[in-house]
Parts: sequence; structure tokens; C-alpha cells
Amino acid sequence: MKRTIVVQRNDPNADTAANERKLAELKELAHAADYVVVGTLVQSRYPDRKYQIGRGKVDELAELVEALEAEKVIFNNQLSTTQIYNISETCKCEVMDRFQLILEIFAARATTRRAKLQVELAKLQYELPKAKAIVSLLKKEERPGFMGLGGYEDSYEQDIKKRIVRIRTELLHSSKGSESLRTFRHERGFSLVALAGYTNAGKSTLFQSLVEEGTIVEDMLFTTLSPTTRSLTINYRKMLLTDTVGFIEDLPHWMVDAFRSTLDEIFLADIILLVVDMSDPVDVIRQKLVVSHDIFWKRTEGAVIVTALNKTDLIPYEDLQEKMEVISYLAPAPVMISAKSGEGLGELQQLLYENLPKWEHCRISVPMSEEGMSMVSWLYDEGIVHTIEYGDSILMEIEARDEIIQKVKPFTISY
Amino acid sequence: MFPIIAVDISGRHRINQGYYMVCAAVAVNVSASHIESVSQIAVKPFLVSSAPDIADVVNIIETTVAEMNYPGTIILEHGDLYNQPEWLSQRMFSREFKYQESLSERLSIEFAHHVSLSSRNLLMKELGID
Repeated sequence: MKRTIVVQRNDPNADTAANERKLAELKELAHAADYVVVGTLVQSRYPDRKYQIGRGKVDELAELVEALEAEKVIFNNQLSTTQIYNISETCKCEVMDRFQLILEIFAARATTRRAKLQVELAKLQYELPKAKAIVSLLKKEERPGFMGLGGYEDSYEQDIKKRIVRIRTELLHSSKGSESLRTFRHERGFSLVALAGYTNAGKSTLFQSLVEEGTIVEDMLFTTLSPTTRSLTINYRKMLLTDTVGFIEDLPHWMVDAFRSTLDEIFLADIILLVVDMSDPVDVIRQKLVVSHDIFWKRTEGAVIVTALNKTDLIPYEDLQEKMEVISYLAPAPVMISAKSGEGLGELQQLLYENLPKWEHCRISVPMSEEGMSMVSWLYDEGIVHTIEYGDSILMEIEARDEIIQKVKPFTISY
Repeated sequence: MFPIIAVDISGRHRINQGYYMVCAAVAVNVSASHIESVSQIAVKPFLVSSAPDIADVVNIIETTVAEMNYPGTIILEHGDLYNQPEWLSQRMFSREFKYQESLSERLSIEFAHHVSLSSRNLLMKELGID
């Protein structure tokens, strides 16, 4: 494990609690990327063009790096290429910012080809504006003369652009594949439920408790990078539950877009199960909910949102009620649960069931023949058979989606 | 459910010699993600000769909302108040005020936007201004 120092520059009049939260999140991110945080450096000032933090603070950082034998410095603020170059020159160690750190985690966790491509795309997009600067910084000393360097710079930038186009095309093709899979699942009578929410809200734990299966659950950010989907049956209705990547504070928009495939699972779902960590301070919960609503507003199409207020076992009942009151206008169809202890899960399942797309009831009479029997078994697959009576003909009371009901319409009988 | 008044102003750009604005306020009862019921709608036209500043906008909103006999917080989009921070905007209003946050608040503002935009289009047509 590499030893690292985390650095954060705060604006002079910024909210202290928010600053502390951001720093804590950066430390968790570093932990998720397998770093050991050995030191922290915080400065309150407006950004310095050359170093992001002040000149004197960089010297202090260099001393700290030497004293603590750190191999890496991670900044919470976004750094320009020049800043990275200048700081690493002074500190004599590798320097990166928060976004590069997130990309590093994503790269390490990406398992599917699609996820890997998306990580590469995000990296290239991050690199593109810096491409020119990187070349000129590295070749500063060996500038050969009039127009000498231009060719190199252009080709480096062009290479990146070409690669971006290639990846985009490939991603577009593979997204068509997953889209048709989704239509197929819908046609098979599965309703889609997506787990959404901030990182570490307990989505993976809830996922595991609901489907009773082993997914990786760790107290770490981004344990779920590629979406995992499992089937779940509540009151005979089949649904597919998808665990998705968590939202994270201050994630730039291009990055959210880059990881669209995981988020697509949220945006195309019938129900969004929004998981909220109730052990956070109430301001933080409010802020996270506002951001979640912001993300949903632009992209969802008519999905029902159910809010699971998680980790209720960690706080006293009175506090919970108080928090609940403050955030109620942001929490649609709330239900209190503890994914860990299993409390409230029954209620949550009931709520999910109630919010599924409506299926129709009907009574049918099918002839007692081979064809009739095959229809019965087909109906068992596609819908819910409430009652069945074998006689001269087969009388059934079924519940199914509209398309199925339409197909058996010739056999319907009135009550 | 919560009572809110979502407000939107259309026509904050110059046409001929003036700014033909229409402010729409809709009083709705909302849950976190849906509009549950609509109680009242108020629409008011305004014509000013120079670009409206923030005080004008506040005045326009308060005048329109005064038409209603309904409790509830005034909800606005950030941009409508020139992206002023919430604590500053709150002090300018005599009633309770906040920016949009939940899905239902955004929906209500969209609703108000449709009302103000179509009312303004109608007005411009009546006045023979394009």
C-alpha cells in the first residue's frame, strides 16, 4: 500500500462542515484506491495559479512528504497540468487530483469490457485539454526551433481524439445490445427496479438482503462499479433488481456521462429505489437528496421513486423522526429500514410490490386439450395464476400484463 | 403534502420598445415527487421600458402572488432571480421563499412556465406583436 498525503484548499468563506465532509470523502476515496493516508494538509485561501495552494504551503508540503516518506500527494481541488508539474517538481513525488483518483479506482474495479472502455474514455476526455500542455512541459528544454514542436503536439492530440471517437462508436454499439436485453426482460414479464443513491448509503447491503445473495459488501466507496442484476420475486411478481454505482459529490458532468451505462440502469427502471444514509447529519441528507432529485429530473422517464431511509439502527428514534420531518418533502414514498439488521425490509418489499406497473386480472376458460394445457403452462410462466379448476374445461383466474391478457382475450369469461 | 406557489416569468427580453412580461403563479399541493392537486392559478401581464432588475422581478412576483388567497412557500428557479444565493433572495420577499429542490417543485415550475409562456403568446398575438 502506498503512503499518501491528502491536500485540500478551501475558499476563505466556505462552509466549514462541508469542507470537512469533502476531506473525509477524499480520505475514503484514497482508502478505496488502496492508499494509506499518512498526512493531511489544509489551507484556506484563494487559488494560486502556479500551485493551487500558496507558495509557502507547497514548501511545507515538500517537507511533510520527506518527513512522512509519502510516495504520493492527492489534491481535493482540480489541478491544471502546470500545477501538477510545479508541485511534483517541488515535492519530488507523484501528484494527482481527486478526479484522477476516482478514475484510478474505476480503472481498478472495472470488470466488463464496457466498463473498461468507459474508464478509458473518461481518462482520455480528462487528458485531452491537457495534451498540448503535457507535451510542451516535457519538451521545454529541447524546443528545436521555428515550428519544431507543433507537429508532435498535434499528433498527440489527434491520437487522443481518434481514440475517443473509436471508443464512443464501440460503446454505442454495445449499448444497443443492452437495450434490447432490457426490452426482452420487460417482455418476459420482469419489472425493473434500480437501486440508486450516494456512495456508502448501503445499496449493496440492501441488495444482498433483498436477493439473499453474496455480492461484495465493503465499507468502501465504489464497491459496485459494473451493475449487478438479480431476480427477485415478491408476491409472485418477478422483478429484476439492479445495484448501481453510487453518486458522489462534485463529480463533474462529463464523468457522470462517461459512466452512463451504470446510470442507464437507473434511468430506464420502472421503480427507482433511492437509498439514503440516515446516519448523516440532516443538512448532508438534504443536500444529497436535492442532488439526487436533480439527477433524476433530467433523465428519468416516469419511473416511480421509492425512498429507503437506511441505517435506522444507528440513531435514536427521536432523532430519526426529526430528520424525517425535515426531509419529507424530498423523500417520495419513504420507508425506514436497516439493511443490516433486516428491519423494515418486509414493508419495503410491500411498497415495491404496490408500485409495480399494474397487471390486469381476468377469468378465462380454456378447453381441456393439449393446446389448452400448453396455454396453462405458458400462463404460469408469464403471469400469476390465482385459481385453477379442472373440469370439462379449465377455469382460471389470472393476473398478467396487458399483452398477455390481450392474447387470451378470446377465452375470457365474465364473473 | 405541502402547499407551494410555483412562479415563472416569460418574456424577459426586449421586443420593440419594451419588455412584455407575463408572470404566472400556480398554487399546488405537492408530495415529494408529484403534483397532487392544483388550487389556483394567477396570471398577470407587465410592461416595462427598461430591462427588469432584481427588485423589479421581486415586485412582479409579489404582485402576482398577492392575487391568490393561498398559503405556501413561493418556489422559483435560480435563474429567475439572477442566480442570487438563497439567503439573499429570502430577505427580499415578504413571504416565505425558496428555490426549487424536489421533483414536484420542478414539475410545478414547469407547469407555471407553460402557463406564462402560452398566456404571453396569446397576448402578443392579440396585440399584433411578433
